[in-house]
Amino acid sequence: MDSVIQDFRKAYSAGDGYGLAQTLSPIPPSSQSERLQKFFQSTNYASAQKEFRNQILYDNSGPKMPMDEGNGWVEVYTAYWKAIGEILSAEAAAQSNARSSWTKVYDAWKELTNVLHRGYSNCGFEAWTVPCFYVVGKYLRIFAIKADEDAATSTTTMTNFDDFNPEAERNEKLEDAARQLNRIFNLCLSDRAPLEESRKWGIYNIINLLFKTYFKLNSISLSKNILKAVRAYTGDMPVLESFPLAHQVTFKYYVGVINFLEESYVEAEKNLTEAWNLCHKDSVRNKELILTYLIPCHLLTTHTLPTQALLSPYPRLQSLFLPLSRCIKKGDLSGFDAALVAGEDEFVKRRIYLTLERGRDVTLRNLLRKVFLANGFEEAKEPGAPQVRKSRIPIAAFGTAISIDSKETMDNDEVECLLANMVYKNLMKGYISRPYGMVVLNKKGAFPGTGV
Amino acid sequence: MSAAPASGAAPTNKAAVADKSAESAKDVKLAAALEEDDEFEDFPVENWTKEDTEVPGDNTHLWEESWDDDDTNEDFSAQLKEELKKVEANKKK
Repeated sequence: MDSVIQDFRKAYSAGDGYGLAQTLSPIPPSSQSERLQKFFQSTNYASAQKEFRNQILYDNSGPKMPMDEGNGWVEVYTAYWKAIGEILSAEAAAQSNARSSWTKVYDAWKELTNVLHRGYSNCGFEAWTVPCFYVVGKYLRIFAIKADEDAATSTTTMTNFDDFNPEAERNEKLEDAARQLNRIFNLCLSDRAPLEESRKWGIYNIINLLFKTYFKLNSISLSKNILKAVRAYTGDMPVLESFPLAHQVTFKYYVGVINFLEESYVEAEKNLTEAWNLCHKDSVRNKELILTYLIPCHLLTTHTLPTQALLSPYPRLQSLFLPLSRCIKKGDLSGFDAALVAGEDEFVKRRIYLTLERGRDVTLRNLLRKVFLANGFEEAKEPGAPQVRKSRIPIAAFGTAISIDSKETMDNDEVECLLANMVYKNLMKGYISRPYGMVVLNKKGAFPGTGV
Repeated sequence: MSAAPASGAAPTNKAAVADKSAESAKDVKLAAALEEDDEFEDFPVENWTKEDTEVPGDNTHLWEESWDDDDTNEDFSAQLKEELKKVEANKKK
């Protein structure tokens, strides 16, 4: 008997869902690099199903299970066997530089996904086996991406058909994968079994796969439908905190980013901070991704910047955020604009450009704050009285500061407009007295939250 | 993408067609590598304890204020004060 079926029987007898899922992985463990070849060679198209049936249902040394369920697993391993055949030939083709067909791999893997789905809907697969979906779903997405890349390169290297629209078909398989994952999502969500034996325990892993897929497809709004569907089941579901941390952290990260993209920065910050706090300390790349959104979030909600201590383990984040941070602190508007332009491609790719752009307000605030500080103190009315900063400042003084900074003069109307905006955004407190050409600042905190 | 170092250049004695498909296979690999890079990675384990997170208890040292008060003597402030004096002088005229 092949080791794949042996491992199935072992995991099934032990009720080990993750072990069972591992038998459906398309990646062999490093200790058994020949595992997939051996499995594929252990039988052939004509007899695979029959052999698996004998090994799973009719072998007395194996675990006992209902006939229906057993047949379901026979179908699963038959589909898996076929998919492995496609994977091995795709890999062999890639190695000999021949054209590999990840499309065939995807189709075979999709069939495996469907057979597994049927196992739950028709054959009574139990909820503890639900990690099988984690493995099968994960690779469904990966093979879909590979298949779409294949299709993209073959159309560019071959001919251009007149009516061919590459945009529409570019993500054909990945869109299909999203539909399959959605079916799994509904299968888990609608399970009516009592919670302790419910497929609902698989829900967040599947949601995370869907999020990854929707993000890749640039259909982020679809993620919100998922969140809505889950919300409708609140009270009927185990709370998020009772799921494995891997599921929780990934979920919070994506919910954080979704909120971030909708400019709900407070909600985004909450989720991203939780993801940050719970993240495994060795998952450097994931921590880096969380910070990519948490840093712009923090800049907007609390007007604070990351310290050297926070950035030091992440060179990529340093190059992303340090130049901007320096300019914000210095109140250097032209430097800020230049840094924004310099990083534009990367910022746009990460979808943080628009948020960072709003850091310009904080930069301007810091520049105006400098004018306030440079403007000095009132003459003391009596000796020993605490010094009071001059709260009336000519509009022209602010204009001068902006002009020095940007090396071109700005007319007074424009300066007034900027100042009025600062007041409106609550970054500066005071009013403009036009007849006198003065700004009258609040004596108790002209620049809220900055100590002056 | 073509500027990337070729890992195992295509054998020279192969037909041009074969070379081309080798190129595209390489591109696919490279693209795949780039894409994976962009997503939240799977964690190597499903669950872990508090000890495996880096909860410092207090996150405050990780964030700092967005303004800088240490540079009141730098050029900008000096220049600003100069300019402000000029503004004052102009007004008095």
